[in-house]
Amino acid sequence: MAGLTEGWRIQVRVIIALMIRELTTRFGRENIGFLWVMVEPLLFAGLVAIVWAAMRGSETHGISIISFVITGYIPLTLFRSAVSRSVKVFEVNGNLLYHRQIKLIDFIFVRFLIEMIGSLFALMFIGTALYVVGIFPLPYSFGHILLGWLLYSLFTFSMCLVIAPLSEMSDILEKFIPVVTYLMIPLSGTFFLVQWLTPSMREFILWSPPVTAMELLRFGLYGHSMRPYYDISLVVIFSLIMTVIGLALCRKVRRTLVVG
Amino acid sequence: MIICEDIHKHYPLGHGRKNVLNGVNFTIQKGQKVGLLGRNGAGKSTLIKLLGGVEFPSSGRIRRHMSLSWPLGFGGGFQGSLTGYDNARFIARIYGQDYDAIKDFVEDFTELGRQLKAPVKTYSSGMRARLAFALSLIIEFDCYLIDEVILVGDQDFQRKCYHELFEKRADRTLVIASHNPATIRKYCSQALIIHDGLAHFYEDVSESLEAYSAL
Repeated sequence: MAGLTEGWRIQVRVIIALMIRELTTRFGRENIGFLWVMVEPLLFAGLVAIVWAAMRGSETHGISIISFVITGYIPLTLFRSAVSRSVKVFEVNGNLLYHRQIKLIDFIFVRFLIEMIGSLFALMFIGTALYVVGIFPLPYSFGHILLGWLLYSLFTFSMCLVIAPLSEMSDILEKFIPVVTYLMIPLSGTFFLVQWLTPSMREFILWSPPVTAMELLRFGLYGHSMRPYYDISLVVIFSLIMTVIGLALCRKVRRTLVVG
Repeated sequence: MIICEDIHKHYPLGHGRKNVLNGVNFTIQKGQKVGLLGRNGAGKSTLIKLLGGVEFPSSGRIRRHMSLSWPLGFGGGFQGSLTGYDNARFIARIYGQDYDAIKDFVEDFTELGRQLKAPVKTYSSGMRARLAFALSLIIEFDCYLIDEVILVGDQDFQRKCYHELFEKRADRTLVIASHNPATIRKYCSQALIIHDGLAHFYEDVSESLEAYSAL
């Protein structure tokens, strides 16, 4: 038991130290510092929402376009930036492996966590601001929003765990990642509700884990003006399998990693 | 005690592989000051990295019955884009030390003054060595893994190193990588020669130096 608590304390120390380091190297100490982490998802979601609203008017299927695009885009930027940040993460941080208490998975986790916290703050910030000016609904259930967000994060993190070691093992894979994350957009549930699809499409699309997360998140926002379709156990099982594969790959990569 | 059992290490080289260590066995006892001798490319750095857990052996096992420092003087362990102070803070955090308590020691020992506020990548190798050494002394390890470059500063720095390492911490274990017989003779009580991927342990330093010069 003593070994376990000591191990946990070291783990927490390492994560905090790496977080601070990552934030200082990425954003510096000047001006708004780590708040920059919110800016990218905010800008992205905000601009796309404006474009959509200009093209399609203020509502689609009885749901306000602005809030719909924002709730779709912020998780999507989380996925895309977390995945692209986990590529070659070991090479960049290799120097730190001189300290034995730092593990490969710490690098992946810290980068994911920063993206996750940044996008979550961005979502809360923009949601509150737009609610105040009257173009964002008051959420029906914060619990569902949180559940959706957690499932989306779990899925994203498990993907990072696999992609980070794979990018170390093969340079070719690195080139494909931008394409793959782009192709994932139609499967991510960003631009539709499952109820808008045909019944056979509904069944098919629910095999994609982020769709469940998006449905729950949006149900938490819009409540019974939509009908959510979801499969929570699929997301959990999928993510667990990816996590196990990812951990095994990290272990394999670590054994042969050349540290400068 | 540090026990190495049948350590092999190879790196990929083109389509084949390069064998660096081919079955290394030795035991280092508590308190020994072991000089690690070998030609350029013989595998000194590789062995030190394996001992420090920076890299992993391709096969074989290393048992560490004491706390080992990270390899000092091999260029790793720092982040070039961060300042000397930031690196000190980072080390203090991951090793669970109080930064305020160590700050004075770092300033005093390194004598780097305002340079500590500059990114480490702007440091000379001598300055880097000072910082690395100071940071490793903050954490009380049982065994220090050192490259000789860290011991060759100016006179004043050498004297400080000697005081901290061989007088204040006379009971600690040291492994010093070197290809300089004078360094080994001055600092070490035992020696380990790496040659052709194998290691030979010598209880007697003079004997090891004779064997080394005969290589």
